[in-house]
Amino acid sequence: MNMKSAFSPKTMSPWAQCFIGWIILLTLIPTILIFLMSLLNTKSYGVISWQPTLLNYARLFDWTYLNLFLKTIALSLGATLTCLLVGFPVAYYLARVSGWKRTLGLILLFIPFWTNFILRIHAVIALVGNSGLINQALLGLGLIDQPIELLYTRTGVFIGLAYNYLPFLVIPLFSSLEKFDLTLREAALDLGANRIQTFWLVLLPNIRHGLIIGSLFVFIPMMGEYVIPDLLGGGKDMYLGNLMVNQFFVMQDWPFGAAIASVLSVGLIFALVIQYRWESKTDG
Amino acid sequence: MHLDLQSVSKQYSEFALHPLTLKVEPGEFFCLLGPSGCGKTTVLRLIGGFESLDSGQILLGGTDISHQPPQLRNIHTVFQKYALFPHLCVFENVAFALRIQKRGSAEIKQRVTEALELLEIGPLSDRRTDQLSGGQAQRVALARALVDQPAVLLLDEPLSALDPSLRLRVREELKALCHKVGTTFIMVTHDQEEALQLSDRMAVMQHGHCLQVGTPKEIYEYPASAFVAQFIGPANVIQGDVQSAADSSQDYYVVHSASGKFSIPKNGAAPPHRISMILRPEKMRLLRAKVAQPNLIEGEVAHLTYLGSRTEYTIQTSKQIFKVFETEGERQKKKLLAPGSKVYLNWKAEDAILLPQGNEHEVGL
Repeated sequence: MNMKSAFSPKTMSPWAQCFIGWIILLTLIPTILIFLMSLLNTKSYGVISWQPTLLNYARLFDWTYLNLFLKTIALSLGATLTCLLVGFPVAYYLARVSGWKRTLGLILLFIPFWTNFILRIHAVIALVGNSGLINQALLGLGLIDQPIELLYTRTGVFIGLAYNYLPFLVIPLFSSLEKFDLTLREAALDLGANRIQTFWLVLLPNIRHGLIIGSLFVFIPMMGEYVIPDLLGGGKDMYLGNLMVNQFFVMQDWPFGAAIASVLSVGLIFALVIQYRWESKTDG
Repeated sequence: MHLDLQSVSKQYSEFALHPLTLKVEPGEFFCLLGPSGCGKTTVLRLIGGFESLDSGQILLGGTDISHQPPQLRNIHTVFQKYALFPHLCVFENVAFALRIQKRGSAEIKQRVTEALELLEIGPLSDRRTDQLSGGQAQRVALARALVDQPAVLLLDEPLSALDPSLRLRVREELKALCHKVGTTFIMVTHDQEEALQLSDRMAVMQHGHCLQVGTPKEIYEYPASAFVAQFIGPANVIQGDVQSAADSSQDYYVVHSASGKFSIPKNGAAPPHRISMILRPEKMRLLRAKVAQPNLIEGEVAHLTYLGSRTEYTIQTSKQIFKVFETEGERQKKKLLAPGSKVYLNWKAEDAILLPQGNEHEVGL
């Protein structure tokens, strides 16, 4: 009843009510359902026992699954870092040019996203395949004698992840770089900082919001990604997303799939809380 | 340290800074004055190292710094909008240069505290930059730029972001600060009053040319051109021809102009044939009745602005418009002149500033 007075619909604007309603309906309730599901058990193939248990979580402490967690984190971190390294110069360029060049750049960045996700992944297949663009270029330049095995390898999955998520990192990065006042750079040089010091001591701290938001934007969905590993990894390499989908749709073990999803959600919420607390601390 | 600019020039697609030679003395408060687009900010950026010069050289204490990047020059800048680092508190903003120099923490604390106290902002030490007023932000920018005692401090229109009431007070403080710390201050401004009040010496610029360098008094009283005369303060200009056959027995030359015949003192070399007479509004008198005196023009009051200590009149004569200031001392018991009243303008022959004609196309602000 106390809660009711604090969140009384009468004191909230209609927009806030919409927002809260949306969050409850589309995010909170499904998450709770998944969590409740994770506390159940599977009697036999596809049949759920309504007896609450923590067995699903205990099962996760198996080296096979822990290994899968670590592998997924490593792959997602690596792909996020690659997105940062590739995306930063792009975002920096777009933030510094103006007029038609910027508009054109942003359009080019997003045109691939007007096509279907699956089609885009097939485009990556065309890039990384044995007779794909990358191998043809390397062969043509005489850098390699025979095609490098990229498709259906971990490298292929890595390239696919980085390629697909790049724009979602570039946009937040672009918007904080655009707000960065270039006279701050001059001020740092003026006070004796060299270019490298200016980058680390002035530019990075001032665009950290975009940097962190952009990284989370790509890291979080990468953690649950299963289509890219399936198509580009050839189903040989399994990640957390594949494991979950398998549990739901192949093994028909929904409670165990829900347990994996819950652990992933808690982990990511934990990461967000740390990020939030760090940001509010550094903001003074 | 002396700052020497020797034939420094810079060419842009639609603007050129013509070769500029300038010597700034150590500890001097030097202003670069001119309308927007005159090149004054370019000069500042060349000295700071943010633009590369096309020719000439810049010497600081005799060392050629023309091609040094900004971080190696012993020169700091107070930027127009201060450019304080928003991710750092006031203390860390001021400490920035010392941290880059990897000074010890005790030394940093002491020198930052001194700089904050010099600018009377000690209590703001822990503030975030977005919690500062305009005046406070400016002090932080000054403290940050002065903390490691640079040879030269560059100020890019530092007062333009302040409230007008604050601006007057800060002017006095800036000048006092310059003389207290002994650093050379070079300030860019388009406000002639600011330049007159602050400068030990100043340069007046227009269209990428430096027109005149001198003390405020020299520039106000002996402007090198009609543009300088009009830019540095209100001025009335009468153009005319000096009568060549001056009667040698007289003390005056006679100038023929559209507004009539006027006399100018005869001293030194003969004046050029075609001249501009510059008359400051405060040097002209308004006579209520016609008197038998030279240098008299009949006119009518078009407009007046009463400012307490003085009244500013706009006088329409048959040929041109004059600005005339009448102080309360001059007016004494006489009534203010109503618009439409008939008046006679009068001035002492020696109060007219005489300039050769030729650069009038540059006039017109």
